[in-house]
Amino acid sequence: MTAPAPVPAPPPAPRVPPTPRVVPAARRAPGIRRQLPTSPWLFAAPGLLIAGGFALYPFVSTLVNSLTDRRVLLPGRFVGLANYRELLHDDMFWTGLRNSVLYVVGVVPALVVLPLLLALLVRRHIPGVAFFRSAFYTPVVASVVVVGLIWVWLLDERGLVNSLLEAAGAGRVGFLSDPWLLLLSAMAVTVWKGLGYYMIIYLAALANVPRELHEAAAVDGAGPVRRFLSVTVPAVRSTMVLVAALSSVAAFKVFSEVYLMAGPSGGPAGEDTTLVMLVQRTGTGLTGRVGYASALSVVVFAVTVALMLLVLRADRREET
Amino acid sequence: MRISRAILTTAAVALLLPLSACGSGGDGGGAGGSDASGKPEGEITFQTWNLRANFTPYFEKVVADFEKKYPGTHVKWIDQPAEGYADKISADAAGGTLPDVVNVSPDLVAPLAGAGLALDLDKAAGQYRSEYLAGAWASHEVPGRHGTYAFPWYLNTGPLFYNKSLFKKAGLDPDAPPKTYDDLFSDALRMAERSGGKVATLANVPTVEDFGRYGVPLMNKAGDGFAFNDPKGVELLTKYKQLYDAKALDPQALTATPESTGKKFLTGAVAMNPGSALDLGNFKKQAPSLYRNIGITDQITSTGHANMYVMGVMVNSRTRHTPAAVAFAHFVTDASNQMAFAKQVAIFPSTAGSLDDPYFTEDDGSDETRVRVAAAKSLKTAVNYTPVLFSEQMKTALRNQVAKALQGKESPEAALDNAVRECDTLLKQQG
Repeated sequence: MTAPAPVPAPPPAPRVPPTPRVVPAARRAPGIRRQLPTSPWLFAAPGLLIAGGFALYPFVSTLVNSLTDRRVLLPGRFVGLANYRELLHDDMFWTGLRNSVLYVVGVVPALVVLPLLLALLVRRHIPGVAFFRSAFYTPVVASVVVVGLIWVWLLDERGLVNSLLEAAGAGRVGFLSDPWLLLLSAMAVTVWKGLGYYMIIYLAALANVPRELHEAAAVDGAGPVRRFLSVTVPAVRSTMVLVAALSSVAAFKVFSEVYLMAGPSGGPAGEDTTLVMLVQRTGTGLTGRVGYASALSVVVFAVTVALMLLVLRADRREET
Repeated sequence: MRISRAILTTAAVALLLPLSACGSGGDGGGAGGSDASGKPEGEITFQTWNLRANFTPYFEKVVADFEKKYPGTHVKWIDQPAEGYADKISADAAGGTLPDVVNVSPDLVAPLAGAGLALDLDKAAGQYRSEYLAGAWASHEVPGRHGTYAFPWYLNTGPLFYNKSLFKKAGLDPDAPPKTYDDLFSDALRMAERSGGKVATLANVPTVEDFGRYGVPLMNKAGDGFAFNDPKGVELLTKYKQLYDAKALDPQALTATPESTGKKFLTGAVAMNPGSALDLGNFKKQAPSLYRNIGITDQITSTGHANMYVMGVMVNSRTRHTPAAVAFAHFVTDASNQMAFAKQVAIFPSTAGSLDDPYFTEDDGSDETRVRVAAAKSLKTAVNYTPVLFSEQMKTALRNQVAKALQGKESPEAALDNAVRECDTLLKQQG
């Protein structure tokens, strides 16, 4: 009988480090705490300090001030929600809220659609297109004050636009004296000034749309409009949401255009006052009411957050 | 846990720091006190209001003369742009960095005095009171408070300019400008009618000083409430409504600023505009054809007193060098320095007797001199109609209600009642 061949010993199993057992916090023994290293905090400290000093502190300060009757030069007393109650009965607050909301309604659709169309026009590689890209972008880099003043001159009762209208027999239009026309004129300036900025965002998005999708749609017989609606728009939808969110926040907080065109009093009888103009008017100067202006600022903040959530929710609903 | 402790600490600091701002600061207390009797010495800061661009040599000389007169003093002169001047002062005041000596107007002095930041000069510098025109000294008194809170500095007033060529085209006598409100309103309606509504006579809605000049009582006798909604005020606003409807008041008047109305006058879109001797130079340079046709007439008033603007020099009650600050504020505003300044630019000294100087009484036949002599004469009885307590917010409230009346959205009575109510509320909140 032959001795059985020795069975080779199995190779040693590779040393795999044991999988760490995650112990739920509730089951951890008391006293055993997970210590995070401090170095990440040190790296984050400059950013945290800046955010804390220039964002968190002013925000909390505004919240606290909104509960006081503080003035620019005089200390405040705690007044609870009195400022918020007062603004509910302040006609100018409702005028400001109405105008700011109207601004969003008037400006955002234009700033979502028109820059996309412009981007489609200027993305082609044809001679001289760089000139048009620059031309469309120029208003973005121009000073808003200069732009506002130029439009005031153009739309003045005796300005270029009215002179042309008069020459054409249409008569003068009170762009700067009628409250509604004034608001529309300011919206037009905002749209004109913002087109180039959002056009650049769309150009970047359009560069990522695969050409094959357009070619396939064309082979299937889709015309330019159909391709735009069925290929381009779905492909840049997330960019459209981004533009809608950015422009709605900017539109709700509009100040410069309306201030420059309607004047410090906010147009005839203050009818064109926006919420941010009201904050500025109420809270500045030696007799400024810091408490009340802070309450207005908190409302502006709340509505801005609500707008963002609304846009994101609409986007999510579209996705599902 | 370390993380939550850090977050908690941050949140607590963020919450407590703003809270610590409540109840702090405010009135009273000054580093230097109100005793100005010591020897002027130390370094002080002097802030002017948009004067560096054109008057640097003048102010450098004033500072040098002062430092020579008071060895041991040093004056640091700073200047702030016109735009946002009140905001700059409020930021400095709130931050405790208000300069020692500050160029102010009466409406800026009132809140600073209320916060205890303006030195009471009746106490600290009462001996200088007789050097100034009584009305000018009183212009920095604040209703409801005892004391005077700034030295009066330069005064200004001006005539009403009108475009003779537009008057002629409208069939009005270019050498017989309106002298009364009735003349003004009838000429304005005629101008609008003849030009088919293309030329307005006035470009500004009535402000509080217009109500004052029309003879409307602006505040009640106690000085704790406004009163411009009386029948005389309603009468003025009703007349302006007629002008607005007839386009005799520029359609853009509701949003006009002094700059925009000045431009309209330069371009011949408006026939009359208030101004000062300073404007003549602008007309000559920017609108030579207007300058050739310029007419100059007195301000129209129902009271017999023209409106004047007053500038002042305030001493910060918290200055560390009260004697030097008071001495410098007095030095800048004394008769010789004000006279020297008046010869540099079309302003008028607030010191007693200065307006009797031949420079302000002798007419050499030029337009500039004629305006200067007439203005100096009217200043002797002029009034600063704008109430010291009339804040920017009150100006906006009045302007908006006046606009509603002109647009026909409110009756003149209701609009002025609303304006008075809003201004009274703001006055109470001002404290």
